[in-house]
Amino acid sequence: MRATGVGASIQRGGGYGRVTGQQQYVADIRLQDALQVKLVTLDCARARIIAIDTDAARQVPGVRLVVSAADLPQPVARFGPQFEDRPILAVGETKYHGEPVAAVAAETKDAAEEAARLVRIEYEELPAVFSLEAALDPAAPLVQDPALRPGDPLAGTNVLREHRVGWEEIEAARADLVVEHTYEFPMVTHFAIEPHAFMAAPDGDGIAVWSSIQHPNWLQKVLAKILGLPLSKIRVHAPDPGGGFGGKQHAKLEPLVALMALRAGQPVRLVLTLEETFQAVRRTAARVRVRTGFHRDGTFAFQDVAADYLLGAYADIADRVVSKGSYPACGPYRVPAARILARSVLSHTTPSTAFRGFGNPQVNWAVESNIDEGARALGIDPLELRLQNLARRGEAFIPFDTPADGQWEQTARRAARLIGWGTPLPPGRGRGIALGIKSGPTTGLSYSTVRLLADGSVIVYAGTSDMGQGARTIFAQIAAEELGAPLDWITVVMGDTAVVPYDQQTSASRSTVLMGNAVLRACREIQSQLRAMAARLHGMDASLIAVDRGVVRLPDRELSTLDVLKPGLGRLGGELIGNGEMRKDEEPGHPLGGSAAFFEFNCTAVEVEVDEGTGDVLLVRHVTVSDVGKAINPLQVRAQDEGAAIQGLGHTLMEHYIFDEAGRIRNLGAIDYRIPTSMDLPLELVSDAVENADGPGPYGAKGMSEGALLCVAPAVAAAVRDATGLVIRDLPLSPERVWRALRERDAAAAAVTGAVQPASVPVAAATGGAPSGR
Amino acid sequence: MNEIETIAIELTVNGRRRALKVAPHHTLLDVLRDDLELTGTKECCLVGECGACTVIVDGRTVDSCLMLAVEADGAAVTTVEGLAIDGRLSPLQAAFLDKGAAQCGFCIPGQLMSAHALLALNPHPTLAEVQEGLAGNLCRCAGYQQISEAVLATAEGADR
Amino acid sequence: MHTFAYERPATLPEVVALLGRHGTDARLLAGGTDLIIRLRDGTLHPGVVIDLKRVAELCPAIREEDGRLAIGATTVMTDIAADPRVRRDFMALAEAAAVVGSVQIRNRATLGGNICNASPAADTAPPLLVYGAEVVAAGPGGSRRIPIADFFVRSGQTTLEPGELVTAIELPLPRRRMGAVHVRRSRRRGHDLASVTLCCGVDEAGWTRLAYGSVGPRPVLAVDESGMLADPDAPEAARAEILERLFTDASPSPRSMRASPAYRLAMLRTLGARALRTAIQRLAEE
Repeated sequence: MRATGVGASIQRGGGYGRVTGQQQYVADIRLQDALQVKLVTLDCARARIIAIDTDAARQVPGVRLVVSAADLPQPVARFGPQFEDRPILAVGETKYHGEPVAAVAAETKDAAEEAARLVRIEYEELPAVFSLEAALDPAAPLVQDPALRPGDPLAGTNVLREHRVGWEEIEAARADLVVEHTYEFPMVTHFAIEPHAFMAAPDGDGIAVWSSIQHPNWLQKVLAKILGLPLSKIRVHAPDPGGGFGGKQHAKLEPLVALMALRAGQPVRLVLTLEETFQAVRRTAARVRVRTGFHRDGTFAFQDVAADYLLGAYADIADRVVSKGSYPACGPYRVPAARILARSVLSHTTPSTAFRGFGNPQVNWAVESNIDEGARALGIDPLELRLQNLARRGEAFIPFDTPADGQWEQTARRAARLIGWGTPLPPGRGRGIALGIKSGPTTGLSYSTVRLLADGSVIVYAGTSDMGQGARTIFAQIAAEELGAPLDWITVVMGDTAVVPYDQQTSASRSTVLMGNAVLRACREIQSQLRAMAARLHGMDASLIAVDRGVVRLPDRELSTLDVLKPGLGRLGGELIGNGEMRKDEEPGHPLGGSAAFFEFNCTAVEVEVDEGTGDVLLVRHVTVSDVGKAINPLQVRAQDEGAAIQGLGHTLMEHYIFDEAGRIRNLGAIDYRIPTSMDLPLELVSDAVENADGPGPYGAKGMSEGALLCVAPAVAAAVRDATGLVIRDLPLSPERVWRALRERDAAAAAVTGAVQPASVPVAAATGGAPSGR
Repeated sequence: MNEIETIAIELTVNGRRRALKVAPHHTLLDVLRDDLELTGTKECCLVGECGACTVIVDGRTVDSCLMLAVEADGAAVTTVEGLAIDGRLSPLQAAFLDKGAAQCGFCIPGQLMSAHALLALNPHPTLAEVQEGLAGNLCRCAGYQQISEAVLATAEGADR
Repeated sequence: MHTFAYERPATLPEVVALLGRHGTDARLLAGGTDLIIRLRDGTLHPGVVIDLKRVAELCPAIREEDGRLAIGATTVMTDIAADPRVRRDFMALAEAAAVVGSVQIRNRATLGGNICNASPAADTAPPLLVYGAEVVAAGPGGSRRIPIADFFVRSGQTTLEPGELVTAIELPLPRRRMGAVHVRRSRRRGHDLASVTLCCGVDEAGWTRLAYGSVGPRPVLAVDESGMLADPDAPEAARAEILERLFTDASPSPRSMRASPAYRLAMLRTLGARALRTAIQRLAEE
């Protein structure tokens, strides 16, 4: 392959701005006379708002606007991608710690902060629910007003929806071994290093909004509805987000800043603090009960999965997280009978939303761990058991969905080889392996326009948000490949709904496949125009001409694009414009509304060392192999794969929200919410990709940015078990949790042998990495 | 709120002398971004944990969110905008591009400043020293391996 | 952040005068790595912030004098960790200084600030206790020395009198060879606040000095003068009993979210035993 096009590790588009500080994220953009907005919140989760006194706040010099729900157009608009349940500002009641009750706009940040402190809110704290137990208690206070759910039989409960899928009768299935356990997945947050930022400014007879959003076109629709304006009067600027991971998919505070800008008649700017982002977005927590039936030979008899996901106070996209994340709960395996029940449970906590993996890591943690237990109980190697059940290419392993779309066995075997599966280990070490799938987009619509300019340079318009995954680079590589332009002659324009054609969204690792195909089609349309142009210039039938990578092939000779373009465009110049559309329509019969465009498939294998004195889990080696179809940019593929793996290590080893009894996040902020640093990496991290060019994207590519996160927790937990014999079904595997389990193990062993536990650590025996008792 | 009393300070930022008046409670980060419009330095955690706001003050990295602007009176400050000379990337910046170290890019200015200071003090760091030296710069895209590779490649390149 | 008046005195008497004038309305600014966080989150709102970094008598320095190593209060962790004299005679202090926060934090955080915050988790406190440091304080009544063991009261509270500030921390140069080590527990390998921070020193006379923090309201020093603990050949049961006695002053708070009391107490023992072994080893290698 040539060094510039598809398959080359070319430098990131937008890289120069990123290493020079010139890249402008939303908070870096200056709007003339912008007012600074500060939110006003309460120091508890759920409260009845009795009165709001803004007088003192208004007295602060420089304050221009103080708004609470009463100051907004009535009734206060609600919005949300699935349910229109989230009010622009709290109406009458707050439902989670950090929900905005009022907002101040002032000439300076200092004045806005001062005034926000001076907004006096009289409130009465109300009973609230922060956990699955509490939310599911029949006597629990309701999170959502039942009036918002007319005709819904579940409206009198905190269960927002139930999602059931399955096939065949599991009761009838005969199993030699049934393994049943319950697993917990904690609340974790995205912690994008760029906190969410929003600006809005009156723009003629419309409005311009700047947001760190992943889905600018979706935001445009939300704002048009709330403001009663046509789409054409809502211009959303969406500069590259500084990390999204799903947390920036949907509208959050844009409706508020838009209304404030219109009210103030001037630009307003709201940049959240990191703490406020913790209160704005998180992953959906889950408790997953798995009952797996095995035949004696290791084949599956059935899977019975019941997953309760804990949502926050507003649904955002989280109910979709639940349905889409849970339906592939049986994993990439041939499972003769399955029953999957997933429930979305509301609580008075931070609204949960999409987060890399989209509901799959939660069930995969549970199901893969349960499979591991079954393998051990049956005395079958966990890898062999998995391979034995693994769906082969083309197999309809989920009966109503896309058949297995890769040679998954190859991926699993490569990971096993790279970890040295089956080779001897030193004492205190253990290995674990897990497989995972996640379905790609089930519907989608992307348009791209590509312009081939008179000098042969190219402008690509694509409404994808490049939040680090590198979409900009990929689209440029596709255009370079198709039109033969050098990469530095290609400009990719994104992030402005007034300029760039519609794209449904940037999520589900879709952009290489969906927008990539749209770009490809736009380029191919230009190729056919070039062919027509060459036919006209050379007086022959277009069918005799081929265009390939910037070369126009006539029957007797080859011309460059420019050889055709220059005379073809003539003295007036001009350009060729291609449009591409990639549509994945709804499928009404499908439980998800559409089948998976592709599956992300990953195998993760790890080797760990457990320090029995402290409970520390050290990753000695971490191997992730993903089936990517085709790595259009191998460097970016590796970065995304490793990034997902390390993010997975966060929830596996250290991340979780800690709440107090009032529903306040205690570890609110970077001091006590710990994420992996450069010193927390596995000693060795190996990322590899399987490329069989069998994906639906350009050149056989598949989406791949989430796969490496799916298997981290079950692989690490299996390795800990291998090293210590401990079975831990709760995350994160923090040193303290592992230490507790070690202590319980030793206490149980002592109870059996009648030995007395030493009251203290023997001076001589407290060594690191003590051999396990295995 | 009463009119805030400001204090006149002078400092050198990226080699250029700047005289300005700052509020006592404004941090170096505030002044760089809001007053000097050097927005390459990023704001994230504001508690000295993430390193997005890392700049070099008199040869040493600091979290500019935890340093008052008045404290920088008389200091020489280097920000990410000061690394490239006349639009030419420094070897470190070029290595970040080569190795694919920048993904979303938001942490990268801070990473670059930490790496720059590290290499100035320790031109031949080991991988462990790079990881230790840059541990105060969180990257949620988790491009840590690529970042380390870029720093090590820069160190190696300096020998040739 | 609320605004405040900023003072940048040039001499120690000026600092003392300012403290006298403003009393509890004033806060001292050394490295600022803790103060600025608390100014921003609103737990502190002083009317006056007094910046110590331009005070002539306080300029950061590590000096050897009169059989002591004097570390100026505004000396930052980076310099302490790298100082050859500290590394020669007070290795555990260098180790502790090297794990206070990230590089950026260590480039600002000062030894004076670290002890004056009196955080139970302050990493420099255990080695200072083991090495028998003295705190030099200046105030309206002149200068005085406070043994470090008498300095900490509880989080945020020291035995400094109103109007006093710390100007230096002095470590007596060792008269007996000592092997010492600093160890800690945290929630990840990257920088983090300690959930146990501990220093153990064993000297050639057989004394064991064990100091630990983050397991109670203030850092604690416990000493074994029997020589048993430092003697690897002494009976294991007797050693374990002595070591256990050294931990009796630990009383971790159940309110902390960083680690439970049970885990802290267990880790205190695990780390204590490990540190003791390392200290004995280091003494042997001296």
